[in-house]
Amino acid sequence: MTFFHLKTNGNPASAVNEFLGRMLSESLVDAVLVAARTPHSSLPMPALFTDPAKIDAADPLAPAAPFNTARQAASILRHESGRKIALVLRPCEIRALIELVKLKQCVLSDTVIIGMECPGRLENRLFLDRIGEDPDFTNKFYRDPDLRDLACSSCRICTRFMPEGADIVLCTIGQPMNDHIDIASQTPTGADLLGKLNLPEGADFPEREEVIRKMFEIREHARERVFMETAEKTDTIEKFQKYVADCLNCYNCRVACPVCYCRECVFLTDVFSHDPQVLMRRASKKGMIKLPTDTTMFHLTRMAHMAHACVACGHCSSVCPSHIPVAEIFIKVGAEVQKIYDYEPGRDLSEPMPLMVYDKAVIA
Amino acid sequence: MSAFEPRIIAMVCNWCTYTAADLAGTSRLMYPHNVRIIRLMCTGMLDAKYVLKAFLDGADGVFIGGCHPGDCHYINGNLKVVRRISGVARILEQFGFAHERLELKWIGASEGPEFQEHITRFVETIRLLGPSQAANVMIL
Repeated sequence: MTFFHLKTNGNPASAVNEFLGRMLSESLVDAVLVAARTPHSSLPMPALFTDPAKIDAADPLAPAAPFNTARQAASILRHESGRKIALVLRPCEIRALIELVKLKQCVLSDTVIIGMECPGRLENRLFLDRIGEDPDFTNKFYRDPDLRDLACSSCRICTRFMPEGADIVLCTIGQPMNDHIDIASQTPTGADLLGKLNLPEGADFPEREEVIRKMFEIREHARERVFMETAEKTDTIEKFQKYVADCLNCYNCRVACPVCYCRECVFLTDVFSHDPQVLMRRASKKGMIKLPTDTTMFHLTRMAHMAHACVACGHCSSVCPSHIPVAEIFIKVGAEVQKIYDYEPGRDLSEPMPLMVYDKAVIA
Repeated sequence: MSAFEPRIIAMVCNWCTYTAADLAGTSRLMYPHNVRIIRLMCTGMLDAKYVLKAFLDGADGVFIGGCHPGDCHYINGNLKVVRRISGVARILEQFGFAHERLELKWIGASEGPEFQEHITRFVETIRLLGPSQAANVMIL
């Protein structure tokens, strides 16, 4: 891996923006999809830039993400457009995008994936409060590892914070970001592109590997603890029902989920829109039923449909109006299911989805 | 208190296991009456939610019967269900449903005695496991 320096002069975000702007102005790509501030909010929304003069609004490093951008990326990559598009994504977004390609929701033909090493994101409200108090919050977030504790619960247990599958990596971990950010290529596409930009070459930062290893250990430890606690809270169906007791059946978790790709979810169809007679019959069987019905059924079915592809981005928890820790249980069950198929979502584009292949033991 | 009688839902393929059940019946082969059979056109059409629904509605066990690999009327439907079932079983396990409560077996159309044998054994397995936790829980 060859590292190149981006001089930051105390402002890493604008250094990255300048890099993205150069890709546009030197016609290396036709468009860049990157998180950006909008006129009325600091919350970084995915935005598609074609004009390098506008790129200042981009905010690629802000530790917030109102969406898993894979969904937005898929919307511009639905079919081959003949345009070269650079996508600035977090590792969980890259994983989701790879899953969406496998699910035939989009194509990655002429794209450059720029992945950032991701220390985590804050919940929207918390981010807005922090950035409101201190406009320099984003830079501080990268400087001060203690601030990572503010990251949302799923990020604090994320062990896949390095952008596997990216063409170009924005190195943010263990970097003297006040002075420079390192940028490196992981694929020939990335190397070719970086080569054309004539960036100053940099040496690998010696402590980098150690910082990454330490971060991984902390995360892994936290993950095991959360898995254990979650298992304890959900190891019977009654306990699980208590866990999701405040669920409103709003299905926000399913809407936010990047790999819940069905255009029409079965829970919106007549299958679950019961006839009044059915409701009456169910009520009289037990003396009462809660409405809306099928809350437990919804969560278990969603799990059965997507747990093998769960990329652990945590957006299901972020959007829950009842503050149910949805992500913890889905990430934990996802990990269990992925283990039996020896599958890691987003690991490799050429790896088929587990339900699309047959068990070798059966066809032998 | 009366002895525990397991409630088993069997979801079976029209082309093989259902025919085997029919054969078992016409051959006067006795098997436990604890089984409620639901006929599917193919195990390949079995969605995870059918299994989940059965368990949440208080089934003590779910038995899936399909054609032997290579014999599927639709070429490969039975192969498709294998991983689906192993995934659902693993999910159910996380919530305290023993994986033995969900079983997938290949039973060909001519295998009436095998049908009898598998069902008898499955009912006994479930009888030993005892009632499912969902039977007495209000499912929300």
